[in-house]
Amino acid sequence: MDGGAAAELREAHRLAAHTDRVWALAWNPAPGPGPVLASCSGDKTVRIWKRAPDGAWHCSVGNANLPLLPDVLEDTHNRTVRSCAWSPDGRLLATASFDATTAVWEYNSGDFECVATLEGHENEVKSVSWSPSGTLLATCSRDKMVWIWEVQPGNEYECVSVLQGHTQDVKMVQWHPSLDILVSVSYDNSIRVWADDGDDEWHCVQTLTEADNCGHSSTVWALSFNQKGDRMVTCSDDRTLKIWDTSADLSQPKTGEGHESWRHLSTLTGYHDRTIFSAHWSSDFALILVELYLNTFFGISLFLVHRSEDIIASGAGDDAICLFAEEKSSMVEGPSYKQILKKEKAHDMDINCVRWCPQLNQFL
Amino acid sequence: MDQQPQNDADFLEPSVLLDETHYQEGYKNGYDDGLSSGKEEGRQVGLKMGFQVGEELGFYQGCLYVWMSATRIDQNAFSARVRKNIEQLAALVSNYPLSDPENEQVQDVMEKIRLKFRAITASLGVRLEYEGRPASSKQDDVEDL
Repeated sequence: MDGGAAAELREAHRLAAHTDRVWALAWNPAPGPGPVLASCSGDKTVRIWKRAPDGAWHCSVGNANLPLLPDVLEDTHNRTVRSCAWSPDGRLLATASFDATTAVWEYNSGDFECVATLEGHENEVKSVSWSPSGTLLATCSRDKMVWIWEVQPGNEYECVSVLQGHTQDVKMVQWHPSLDILVSVSYDNSIRVWADDGDDEWHCVQTLTEADNCGHSSTVWALSFNQKGDRMVTCSDDRTLKIWDTSADLSQPKTGEGHESWRHLSTLTGYHDRTIFSAHWSSDFALILVELYLNTFFGISLFLVHRSEDIIASGAGDDAICLFAEEKSSMVEGPSYKQILKKEKAHDMDINCVRWCPQLNQFL
Repeated sequence: MDQQPQNDADFLEPSVLLDETHYQEGYKNGYDDGLSSGKEEGRQVGLKMGFQVGEELGFYQGCLYVWMSATRIDQNAFSARVRKNIEQLAALVSNYPLSDPENEQVQDVMEKIRLKFRAITASLGVRLEYEGRPASSKQDDVEDL
């Protein structure tokens, strides 16, 4: 497992093409001829990156007969694109923008077309996430709301529910990997869990706060589930990462007393000395991807990691990336997590997003 | 200070009382003025608020009438979910406590109505908005993260 060997994080590639800070990244989950990465930026565009046979990364599409065309999704959003997410089947890309809209793009063998624009939020949309079945799409915004949309045939989207509950800007939404449970995190320091009663009525089934659940004491920026969905990590402006036991199925109606709820397991403190903006829980991976914001270089760095177990990666305002793995040996009060690596100055500026690449084989 | 106490009291008392009398008179005048101008102002505010609430609710009701007419012509004009939302909106609007302005719930009910309306228009893909009310969060020039 880990023994004494430290993990290694080696920068493999730098991808530069955006003209403003890169906010978020998403790997296409579908197995394909090669890994495909989407990056979205303050320059109002989304770029699609693919790996050429020679191993280099390009933001372009082409074949023997056509000239290389840059694969840029533009002229749709008129403000920063803050977040992007691929549908589980990899065919659709949803992009969330500060212009208060969410666009859905259809990806057909390298060609992108905007097939839907979802309007409804009053102001900046911060995050977008597809449900595991691909039928529901969740968006959240500075207007404190979370909207849930259902995909209908013909690229029609219907609003299923507008979730009220947060008292401040909602920073991120993320679906559970296998259940129709939605989690949102906010500037109001809380984490809210939403589920429906089977009849399109969505409710907040649990709120994780500092007072009641050992929750965060400042803005919660991101969350990530492990592959099984029984663990979740959240990161915050309070410079900690918190691990939660999310094994209870909150989508089931509570029967009687003693209902299960999600609970705090562990807090990782002291590893970052600034706001932790992003955390991602890997499953089977080899590559970690990070975006950064830098005055002259708005880009993306691809790192290679030589480990093969579940690792949590975190990126923060202190320009560092940390990797954490579960410490299986010590089970005194429950599982604990230890840092296996900290790469200081992984970038020259804030790290906005870290994401594991799902296709292991491509890189070894 | 070696006058006799009674003369002292008799002499000074009207002066003291005068002060008090004037105070009371001024107070009463102010109170009466305030009462009548307050009532008038309250009436104006009430008319204004009542008009705004009525106009907004009327707008939603008008949209509801159009949607319900469309459904009568073609049952499948809208999806089942949208039809359900329309019914829920209709219930909310008709249950709005119009005659009970001091009901603490009025703000909540109006928020629910606005949200439900936005969910319907978003699903229909139409840009339809009640123009009269100020948008809730227009402090937009702040660069956000």
